Amino acid sequence: MFAIASMNGLVIGAIYALSALGVSLVVGIMNVVNFAHGEFYILAGYFSFLFASTFGMNVVVAMILSITLVFVFGLMVEYTLIRPTYGDDLYSLILTFILSIVLQNAYLLIFGPYPNKPPGWVKGATNVFGLFFYGNQRLAALVAGICVIAVVFAMIKLTWFGRIVRATSQDREMAELNGVDTTRLNMLSFGLGCALAAAAGVILAPVFPVTPTAGVPVALTAFVVVVLGGMGSMWGCVIGGLTLGLVENLGAAYLSTGYKHVFGFVILILVLAIRPSGLFGHKDA
Amino acid sequence: MKRYRNKFIYGAGLVLFAILPWTLGVYNQHVLIVCLFYTMMAASWNLLAGYTGQISFGHAAFAGIGAYASGILAVKAGLHPWVGVIAGTGLAALFGLLVGMLCLRMGGIYLSLTTLGFSEILHIVINNEYEITRGTMGLQVPGLMVDYSKLAYFYIFLAATLFTLVVVYKLVHSNAGLNFRAVQNDERAASALGVDVVRVRLLAFTVSSGLAGLAGALYGHYMLLITPHIPSLDQQFLVLSMTVIGGLGSFVGPVIGAFCLEILSEYIRAWGEYHVLVFGLIALIVARFAPKGLVGIYKARWGKSRPAAA
Repeated sequence: MFAIASMNGLVIGAIYALSALGVSLVVGIMNVVNFAHGEFYILAGYFSFLFASTFGMNVVVAMILSITLVFVFGLMVEYTLIRPTYGDDLYSLILTFILSIVLQNAYLLIFGPYPNKPPGWVKGATNVFGLFFYGNQRLAALVAGICVIAVVFAMIKLTWFGRIVRATSQDREMAELNGVDTTRLNMLSFGLGCALAAAAGVILAPVFPVTPTAGVPVALTAFVVVVLGGMGSMWGCVIGGLTLGLVENLGAAYLSTGYKHVFGFVILILVLAIRPSGLFGHKDA
Repeated sequence: MKRYRNKFIYGAGLVLFAILPWTLGVYNQHVLIVCLFYTMMAASWNLLAGYTGQISFGHAAFAGIGAYASGILAVKAGLHPWVGVIAGTGLAALFGLLVGMLCLRMGGIYLSLTTLGFSEILHIVINNEYEITRGTMGLQVPGLMVDYSKLAYFYIFLAATLFTLVVVYKLVHSNAGLNFRAVQNDERAASALGVDVVRVRLLAFTVSSGLAGLAGALYGHYMLLITPHIPSLDQQFLVLSMTVIGGLGSFVGPVIGAFCLEILSEYIRAWGEYHVLVFGLIALIVARFAPKGLVGIYKARWGKSRPAAA
């Protein structure tokens, strides 16, 4: 039981990390928390369901197309809704919260309240270390999640674009003085944040089917991970995501399944009480 | 002279409003009572969001705490509902104080995140502890008086609404209110002038949560059934849209917003699920293009250039 709960925690933790990276990127650059993060996650799940199951596309093509569409949608949202609120955090919170409710109800209208599930990528189960049999789809999700996280890290740490991102989140004005077009960067990073939510969505949708409100707990967990790891810290997201995934699943296995999502908030409360800047955050953040 | 004229107009309007339900049927009386409930919710949320610039997503959750605390005390402990209402209000304020102490020193975004999490925890607890709360079935509670009468409830809600509005008005126009706005306008400047920023926010958040608890407790005893819908995010969203559409940071804005949206929602009830979507789109457009809401539009169009009377 310990082994299988840990394995579940690892899989879901990788996805939490991925989803939290998207939140963290946007917080770091724009100081905006996107409360509709979970709805972008769900949107990607619906898209991949639509393309793969209804239109019969190849699974990989459907996934890439879904992420691209959500990325474009994110760019549009930034341009129309977030851009006018620069410098006014209050309104970006209000607008993204309203957007999340609008999207939830739009999904309800379009797709109905039923869970939808895109087809799996692989079938069968594998014997893990001779301990237990584990669904191949979940293992594939774990591998895919780790790959996407690695790509994000490589992009932020190694490329020129990543250098701009890091510079801007460290000191916005200095970056501007050095010729960074921060307005365009805002738009791009918001879109990328949404695309990371979308990546988490398409990876997890074959395991956990999407419903109109299934994004809420995922987004909430991503927020907890970001606070736990420290706002704007990338390693914080990875460590925080895995921690939260493990705590939730071990807690569900040994304490109570009904309270699965509460354990994350207990962590949030502890972090705020003991070390509000998070594991990897700066003291003054 | 003008001051007295205004007072006379407000007083006359209030008297007219107070005799209005005598001319209406039971259904319209119900709509008025729900309007008053939302006025309380929106006005107290506005105290926090509009005057100190902190966004709480747990306002409906605090109303839920008031409702469930009062309801459970009445059903399980057999206390008189009025005692429960007071206890519910106090408990909501206490939870507000605790949550506020936890996250307000970290600034804006943390309060929004924590209250959202808090509201989710409450939702999970209510659904899991169904032996006490009856979960999604809803908890049946006794009414505030022996003989159920819409008119009596109307006057109770009217009194509670006036109480809420007076508290908000007095607070905003007191020294503390000046501090609220100072903190909202420029946190650092206010802090440099000796305003204890955290304490100011904590005061606003605690009072606002307590008032939400009062509204929730009364609402529960009016509906006679407390369901997890009271502390839901949908409810939170309604309160938020009412304030934003009416006018964030203005005194009459939330009142106007609450009445407009509640009456509108009765008209489009036939559309069922669509009505949240419609409200969302309206709220999105208003928040994007007219961030000061209906009151802001009115002022920009017809308002004379005189010092803002809040």
